[in-house]
Amino acid sequence: MTTTRTALAAAVPDDLREAVDGLLLSMADDEFVIGFSDSEWTGIAPILEEDVAMSSLAQDELGHASALYELLAALRDGPGVDADAIAYDREPHEYRHARLLDHGRGDWAMTIARRYLYDTADGVRLEALASSSIAPLRELVDKIRREERYHLMHATAWLQRLAERSGEPRDRLVAAIEELGPDAGTVFTPLAGESGLVEGGALAEPMEALESRWRARITPDFVRLGLPMPPATVDPGNGRSLHGDQFRWLWTEFTSVRRQEPAATW
Amino acid sequence: MTDSAPLDRETTARQGPPLEPWEVFRQEKEGDAMRHGGSVMAPDAVLAVHYARELYGRRQESVRLWVVRRADIHDLADPDLLQPPLDRSFKKPGGYVMRDKLAAARKQSRQRTPKAPAT
Repeated sequence: MTTTRTALAAAVPDDLREAVDGLLLSMADDEFVIGFSDSEWTGIAPILEEDVAMSSLAQDELGHASALYELLAALRDGPGVDADAIAYDREPHEYRHARLLDHGRGDWAMTIARRYLYDTADGVRLEALASSSIAPLRELVDKIRREERYHLMHATAWLQRLAERSGEPRDRLVAAIEELGPDAGTVFTPLAGESGLVEGGALAEPMEALESRWRARITPDFVRLGLPMPPATVDPGNGRSLHGDQFRWLWTEFTSVRRQEPAATW
Repeated sequence: MTDSAPLDRETTARQGPPLEPWEVFRQEKEGDAMRHGGSVMAPDAVLAVHYARELYGRRQESVRLWVVRRADIHDLADPDLLQPPLDRSFKKPGGYVMRDKLAAARKQSRQRTPKAPAT
């Protein structure tokens, strides 16, 4: 822990501290929220094998969230600051995940559409951090990307199966994509201090450029499968704030045990 | 994993292509033989490989997996063909099992041979 803290403190120049804080928080909250939300399939997925697969993907995401919260705790480095406190001890409006993830897991088509849209966007964001000037982040991203490769294979396999099966599977998928579409681009909501991150080499390109990259990346799949491309993001400025009632419900769930005994040692 | 999934799973899965069993073979480390690990239910090869990865590889316990549709395996378990009733031990690389025959021969020869003359 001490090594990480020292390494991270040395890697982040003071003038980038706040911006890096915001970047780490947004990534960690994304992974935490989708990981927790997808874990709701445990025990009720369509078949046992898929139950195990989805639960395992969800666990991977929670693992990524945990590693990112650890980095963030190291960056903040204060008394009482640890990954669990950051993950669980905030009010719903303080979470900075993308609005895309405020849509609940819904039916299987909704979960697959949300996973596909998020995984492809996350993939582009991770790519932009693969050569980051912040070494501890770069090293973590390298590990995360190796696992995300499989997540994307899984999501794409299912997207294709639902899209190519006319009738209920395709109808539900199209409905899910149409519901999520206007919020899909919120993964690329501009961050405070973003230009500093780009100039300092922490992030390869601004979020706006990454969003174009992402749209170009998913276009072949959408064209091939005849699916409606996500339209321009609605209210892009608030893409990571103003979370609605659905997130409040999820927050109540994932903090329920923690709030029962706030001072407990686990 | 099981042929008797609860009803709600069956109802959900009913719409798609039928699930069928796939056998999973795994290699624990480079150079080891591929050993049978178990099986998964999946509608096609791509998902079968995904599920094999989740059930037999996600804890880093394998370096390679082979996934084979069970229907593609030709089964032979006929005792007349595999466990013939007659002594076919001469077909083993070591040839006839000689131990019992030798012992019998020795016993017989001891009985027949007169005592060696005293010197």
